[in-house]
Amino acid sequence: MINAPSAATTAEVTEIDASARFPLLLLVGSALVWLVLSGALALVNLVQLHTPSFAAVCSVMTYGRVAAMQESAFIYGWAANAGLAVALWVLARLGGSSLRSLNWVLFGTAFWNLALLGGVVGIACGDALAHGWLHLPRYVLPLMLVAYGAIGVAGVLAWTGRRHEMTFAAQWYAVAALFLFPWLFSAAQVILVFVPERGVLQAVIAGWYVQGAWTLWLAPLALAAAYYVVPKVGGRTIASYDFASLGFWTLLFVGAWTGGRHFIGGPVPAWVVTVAGVSCALLLFHYMIVGLNLRGAFSGGGSVVLKFIGFGVVAYVLGGFLDAITAFRGIAVVTQFTFFTEAQHQLAVTGAFSMIMFGAIYFMVPRLTGQAWPSSGLVRAHYFTSLLGTIGLVVSLAIAGWIQGHDLNQASVSFEAIAAHVKVWLLLATAAQALLLLGNLLLLAHLLRAVVSNLASSTPANFRPGSTMEASAS
Amino acid sequence: MSDQNPIDPRLEQAGASDESLLAAHEKLLGKKPEDGAHYKMLPLVLLFVFSGLIFYAGTYLNHFAGHYDATIFNENAHPSTGAAPGAKIDPMVLGKKNYDQVCTTCHQATGLGVAGNYPPLAGSEWVNGSEERVIRIVLYGLKGRVTVKGTEFNAAAMPAFGKVAGSGYNWTDERIAAVLTYVRASFGNTSPAISADKVAEIHGKEGDRKEWSQEELLKIP
Repeated sequence: MINAPSAATTAEVTEIDASARFPLLLLVGSALVWLVLSGALALVNLVQLHTPSFAAVCSVMTYGRVAAMQESAFIYGWAANAGLAVALWVLARLGGSSLRSLNWVLFGTAFWNLALLGGVVGIACGDALAHGWLHLPRYVLPLMLVAYGAIGVAGVLAWTGRRHEMTFAAQWYAVAALFLFPWLFSAAQVILVFVPERGVLQAVIAGWYVQGAWTLWLAPLALAAAYYVVPKVGGRTIASYDFASLGFWTLLFVGAWTGGRHFIGGPVPAWVVTVAGVSCALLLFHYMIVGLNLRGAFSGGGSVVLKFIGFGVVAYVLGGFLDAITAFRGIAVVTQFTFFTEAQHQLAVTGAFSMIMFGAIYFMVPRLTGQAWPSSGLVRAHYFTSLLGTIGLVVSLAIAGWIQGHDLNQASVSFEAIAAHVKVWLLLATAAQALLLLGNLLLLAHLLRAVVSNLASSTPANFRPGSTMEASAS
Repeated sequence: MSDQNPIDPRLEQAGASDESLLAAHEKLLGKKPEDGAHYKMLPLVLLFVFSGLIFYAGTYLNHFAGHYDATIFNENAHPSTGAAPGAKIDPMVLGKKNYDQVCTTCHQATGLGVAGNYPPLAGSEWVNGSEERVIRIVLYGLKGRVTVKGTEFNAAAMPAFGKVAGSGYNWTDERIAAVLTYVRASFGNTSPAISADKVAEIHGKEGDRKEWSQEELLKIP
């Protein structure tokens, strides 16, 4: 067991953090293992895009299975574990009391990750489902739903048992994410997997699920982290806080309606696509308010935590604007069904979600362990690899997609010619992905070192005393 | 540790306690504007932006939502100019639209297919030959070996397009007739049109079945 910080440490780190230490570190640790695994698989995938024979010696390592394993490991391994850890911590801290039902969190985490492991092995064996963000084989899905519930209970109890009647934006987003994922996940399981709808409707539902899991689950988890950490580190209140609730409700009402943007140019009724395009435009209001609210992340001085989160906020808002622009049929005729959509996906999940989570993890882990991170060089190295890797990946995929889209619209250009035109950009994307993988390996190694050195020593970190910390208006 | 020190990434200090964070934001929401003549631009700007977005959304929906009709796939089908129910539709137009949305993925916009993978439609003996066979292929799909224009394709995987069990498309007999008519009169092909009645007749005769193989098809005249 890890040493508890001594009572002398100050009030900044309390029993709330100490009691949640093991379950939350387990969530963060599992998240990082999945992140590194998915990074390695993504690298294999990207190499296969320009060198198709690479590693494809057996069916397990062929492009389709690797892609399905990679996506599942990223979404349900990294994003879910990390997002839940941060959401539970934020809810406990703002709720003002220690997390309850932590045994359920431990059981839930164990079963979630075991089921996911079973699912990824299942995909390797050829049992994958054919829906975006829902490649995991049908036999692990119900167990994952139950495991998620077991983890989420602690968050719900922290919310209902909070000490203050008044609530804060970070809590809204965390609670919304906790409740909305089971709804999306169970509905998708029933109508896509166990009692599947047929024909066009199936594709429309799959699009609704992919988009909903982003706008109503992963995005709120990231926003919960950002709305908590930005004022917490900056010491100033959220700017233009009056509008935060408008931004929140816009996301909740409009978010899932944008699902049809995946079918622009596809064979679905016109209104599905039109409503999605309009929803993408309405959602701009949400992105503008998030940008206004979280602008404190850009005046963080030398804070690396705020640099991570600031990058994530920029990527999030930029991604929202790109979604709205590419939802126009005139633009989508080039970008749709190309690497450009993959660039948008990476901008959202890597640029926005992962970067905000990294910032939150760098802030949270010392408070859980009661000790500082072992090395400042590793933190900075991770920041720069993530920064360059994310920009390189998104920009090169976007350019590749644009070229590919223009070529595909000309019947005279052969597939071989298109592959040759985009090759150099795919090579760049591969290099960027390698950089991302390196950075994430550094973070995993750093976390292991932090935990091991924590076992060895009990010198508490020098947290600033809580009494001196008053939030000032911004 | 003093505030003048550069921030240590190993241990970033909090600038506000959780209590003060909640209290400060609670105060922000409870605050009534007291500063009389001094009024803020931001709420007005956001109000205009949001109204603008809603106005745009309403207009766009009105023009391009195709009456929220599940059978309208073209967003430009304006209610007043769109095809009225029961109106005669040119099979060549309907056929081209469906071809461009779906068939073109494999058989390409040129109808030439992809050498080694997808058989060509242009000049194909299957397309221009027996109506009986080509209707069955589109209705139920074709699986396995197939020889087109003297070239053998090893693993054809043409899916079923008709309203039959296991079809992901569920096209009506009329649509299938339109696509066939279009394909038989395009890419240099000059074979006669296929009627929806003929498709319906074969559909009725065969009922539900799995994909055809080349051998089975060749037995049919």
